Amino acid sequence: MSILTKRLRPRRTVAIAAASVAVAMAAAGCGGGGSGTPGTPGGAGVPGLGGTGVVDQAVYDAAPVAADADIPAGSTMEKIRQRGKLLVGGSLDAPLLSQQDPVSGKVEGFDASLARLLAKYIIGRPEVETVTIGTQTREALLRARSVDTVFQTYTITPERATQIAFAGPYLTSGLAVAVKKENTTIHGVQDLAGRKVVVGTNTPAVTALPTAAPGSEQVAFATDPQAVQALLQGRGEAYVQDFTLLASNAKVNPGMKVVGQPFTTEPYGIGLNRDDAQFKEFVNNWLTKIQADGTWARVWQATLGTVVEGGAPTPPAIGSAQGS
Amino acid sequence: MNDPQRLLFDEPGPRGRRRIRIATVLGVLAIAAGLAVAIHQFAAHGELAADRWRPFGTWPIWRYLLIALWATLRAAAVTTVLSAVLGLLLALGRLSRRRSLRLLAGAYVEIFRTVPVLLLIYVTLFALPAYGLNFSLFWKLVVPLVVANSAAFAEIFRAGIRALDRGQAEAGQAIGLRPAQVMRLVVLPQALVKLAPSLVSQLVGLLKDTSLGFVVSFTELLYSGQVLASYTHLLIQTYLVVAVLYLVVNASLSKFARVLQARNGRLFGRRRTPTAPPRPDDRALPTR
Amino acid sequence: MNPFSGYLTELGHGLVTTVELTVVTTIAALLLGVVVATLRICPVPLLRTVGLVYVEVLQNLPLLALLVLFVFALPQLGITFPLFTSAAIVIAAYEGAYFAEAIRAGINTVGVGQAEAARAIGLTFSQSLRYVILPQAFRAVIQPMGNISIALLMNTSLAAAVGVVELTQTANNVNLVEAQPLLIFTGAGLAYMLLALLIGLVTGRLERRLAIVR
Repeated sequence: MSILTKRLRPRRTVAIAAASVAVAMAAAGCGGGGSGTPGTPGGAGVPGLGGTGVVDQAVYDAAPVAADADIPAGSTMEKIRQRGKLLVGGSLDAPLLSQQDPVSGKVEGFDASLARLLAKYIIGRPEVETVTIGTQTREALLRARSVDTVFQTYTITPERATQIAFAGPYLTSGLAVAVKKENTTIHGVQDLAGRKVVVGTNTPAVTALPTAAPGSEQVAFATDPQAVQALLQGRGEAYVQDFTLLASNAKVNPGMKVVGQPFTTEPYGIGLNRDDAQFKEFVNNWLTKIQADGTWARVWQATLGTVVEGGAPTPPAIGSAQGS
Repeated sequence: MNDPQRLLFDEPGPRGRRRIRIATVLGVLAIAAGLAVAIHQFAAHGELAADRWRPFGTWPIWRYLLIALWATLRAAAVTTVLSAVLGLLLALGRLSRRRSLRLLAGAYVEIFRTVPVLLLIYVTLFALPAYGLNFSLFWKLVVPLVVANSAAFAEIFRAGIRALDRGQAEAGQAIGLRPAQVMRLVVLPQALVKLAPSLVSQLVGLLKDTSLGFVVSFTELLYSGQVLASYTHLLIQTYLVVAVLYLVVNASLSKFARVLQARNGRLFGRRRTPTAPPRPDDRALPTR
Repeated sequence: MNPFSGYLTELGHGLVTTVELTVVTTIAALLLGVVVATLRICPVPLLRTVGLVYVEVLQNLPLLALLVLFVFALPQLGITFPLFTSAAIVIAAYEGAYFAEAIRAGINTVGVGQAEAARAIGLTFSQSLRYVILPQAFRAVIQPMGNISIALLMNTSLAAAVGVVELTQTANNVNLVEAQPLLIFTGAGLAYMLLALLIGLVTGRLERRLAIVR
């Protein structure tokens, strides 16, 4: 017996050391504060976007809150209100749309701000929890009700609408072409035939390119930041992606530029569970409200408006896309 | 450990010592040259500038990375427990006296040892939701890892159980224990102690596997590194820091495995045999 | 109905890329493994340390992290390779550490008397390694090295994450169009299993022919 206890001692010390490290990290985890808790103010010597794409607090303060009559007992809205936060499926790495500031932990951008406004409308406070999701897992997460909504440049299509419901559309965009700054030969998608093109894995570009640019060769990367790096490193002559995303990327990467106009039309909707017509109507009413009172335009100005020329566009009519 | 290496060369004489000195000097020069080239490349592209490294001296950035590391460790811990339990059951199945169990467990192990984890992840991402099996991101990472690692664990357990002296099980039967009792009271406790180092080594592989969270956008260390890099545009710096974090955790685990190995050496005595020291993980996949 | 028929060329290309990557990388990793294993047992203490550090670093970093570092971060320093080459270099460097450890384990199995005999007839370190130790060491670890090759084959799928269109990536692309995930991924999985089986058969044969029965 005594031999064994003696032999075991080294392991115990290691275990204790490991445990203390774990505790320290758990403490760090708690301190990190999941959603919405404002941490240290941004900046802190971190280069990068550092503050752009952040919507003024005044916009949130002035944003509408639903009347109690609009939130009947037993509805999804009531569940969200009881929970005290909205579960949002989205990205952490899409500049000006939905990007996390690692310092504050806050997610900022057009999609992220709209999600927070919806949270305020339901709960009274802009409390959201962002669940990172890949582009191919959105339908599944919504069907399983793992998230309440998806705000992620989510194109409304009839096929998707068979699995989930879309509120909106809340923004219209399309696929566009970006090239390196010094490129003068490519002016739009028509010049891409037979060329090497960077795309994102599982994005609409993969299926749109063969018809839009016959003979083009695709190099696929899993995430948008990777694809941008690939373009800048010359692994492809152009990068085809959503216009707003490309414009945002071009803003923070002086080495690239967007050429030509979007060559597809992508109406973006808010992904919802399919069997919840009540919630869909509620979200559509909210969209109508923030479009009418100018909140939508203010959010657009503070985010995408910093990279897209001209003023805030007229938001698309609710229900105008096939599948919404 | 050093003996076989020592045997390959004599205690160097004056000429040998001179040669070793020359080789050492050349080696130092080569390493210095390599470092100089690296530093030059860093400097030439402005990556050494202080403000490109300063963020990594601030607490908020470290807090972000530590939260990510915590997620990595959590995923690794849950995967470990589940794959160890499943692996043990599979190993028992492969050693069972029932043919059907043996075949079933054997098929499972052989299949999932030779299918890439990434492919399994794609199946959980894209195929399973269509059949109503839809997990949170955490489980989308953990489930495929468990499927793959339980096969590896099963091989480690099976090798360990079979490597145990038959006399142990026979002695157990002799004192009237039922087969299940022999396994539970006699064989497993000994096999597990002997296997501890291999199991800890497997942990390193498993922890490395969690970096596939990158693919399912589960915010473990590597994916968080990417979010951080896309925000700060400090690619080299971020990924180097992330690499160092992985290195620290895994090197500690490897060190722990060696400590266990040494302890086993003392516990069970060192058998001097001309064959290899028992390497129960030979049949398990060493890497992934 | 059959999602494979229209995509046989693509899937074939993906399979060929996977095989190419596996073959090229295995050869490179094996050579690297011999070099690193030699470093780890050579008479020069500094070089032994270099070998040790190499193995420790490469074995303790996730392959995916190395790939991302090499493909996305290194170009910041002006060092850019084509994607396939990048993947091959990184995987070879990574698996080389595992081959090195397997070969070293093999060297440890070679009888003490063999090394003593080699020294007694006046062979130098490199001669005794080349003519006496390594040939025997290799034969002792054919099985583990086969397993490393199988692991390497499976690891080539990670090249998909950095844009190499190999089997896994092709399957993913086909699935995007066809939306038949279970069928397509099972097919790809079968292809990997067959390739692994092939490696297993070859190493099994080699082992039967070459292994030293003691």
